[in-house]
Amino acid sequence: MAISAQDKMLYVANKLGLTSLKDMQGSTRVVYDQSTTAALDHVLFAGSGQRNFPLTNLGANGNQFQVDEALLVEQIGFFIPDADDGENYGGLGVLSVKFDLVIGNKTVIKDCVVEVGGQQAFYSDGTVGSAIITLEGVGILIPPQVEFYVRASVFNSTTRVASSSRVGCYLFGTAALLNFNTTI
Amino acid sequence: MANQVSKLNYVDAKLGAPTSGQQTTRYIYDSVLPGAGGTNITFFQNFAGKSQFQTNLTTNKLDSMESMVIKSIYIALAPGTAGTLDLSGHMNLNIYVGNQCVLKDFDPSFNATNRGVSFDRLHSGYNNAVRLEVRLLTDIVIPPQVNFKATLELAENTAVGDTSLTLGLKGYGKIFSAGMSF
Repeated sequence: MAISAQDKMLYVANKLGLTSLKDMQGSTRVVYDQSTTAALDHVLFAGSGQRNFPLTNLGANGNQFQVDEALLVEQIGFFIPDADDGENYGGLGVLSVKFDLVIGNKTVIKDCVVEVGGQQAFYSDGTVGSAIITLEGVGILIPPQVEFYVRASVFNSTTRVASSSRVGCYLFGTAALLNFNTTI
Repeated sequence: MANQVSKLNYVDAKLGAPTSGQQTTRYIYDSVLPGAGGTNITFFQNFAGKSQFQTNLTTNKLDSMESMVIKSIYIALAPGTAGTLDLSGHMNLNIYVGNQCVLKDFDPSFNATNRGVSFDRLHSGYNNAVRLEVRLLTDIVIPPQVNFKATLELAENTAVGDTSLTLGLKGYGKIFSAGMSF
């Protein structure tokens, strides 16, 4: 029988000694960050505590979740911000993104690529190519109070030449939110 | 793995709420006119003067024998006269049940329009700049008689006064069933 997202969260939390995570509020969560200055290479989520909405939705805690909050990353998407203000964005167009996902001191996704239109076997968004990758297996857990970031490099999907561009990234999946079960 | 039915039964039982009742699919919605320049909208807070198509509730809690699971979120936008706002820009949606934040800083805009960044693996391709739906991965319960509300922060403002936003919550639910009592 396949392991569920909740099962994996509890398994990892138990391994890390996070015994109270099982009592927290289950939720669905997406966190995003964007680099609105065109460049070949980007580091996303790092330093996001210094940026306000709509540049990121991480708030003052930045690139680490607070106590008893966690995110099981099940899908990663990339987008291209329209302007420096970060209000609007589009898909990848002709670009693809090579990226690493780093949690703590550990690279948990290495030299992976979100190819534009690369997930068409199980994904349809009208006539537009996908700009996401659904993680195989159950997903990867970002535990509470551990820094995470994404290194991303943008290139043309057909010519395989580096391209200077703005870029944004979201991490989507099953989450736990802090829930005080006792009176405080 | 728990499904919507067992999750609702589990939470209702934990709270001492009745687990009997007519099983159903429940959809609740609220429309708000935030006014010109509005960027922060609160849903399920004010119900006075709204038509049956703007909201199907009269208070921000379910009846004593009613409960539901939030599984899908629907947002619709009427940009108003000469308004330019749409749902394709970043937004922060928070849903509160009781004092508990059950959906935190969620950005539904990734499911708006066809950009290839939607959450759903088999995206319908119909979500557009004025209507979108997000299917949640988890089952979130609204128990009986517990206040709930939702807040939506927009990256762009509403620009014109007659902009209307609607938030709908859909999922498995229970409604009052008289049974054999009367």
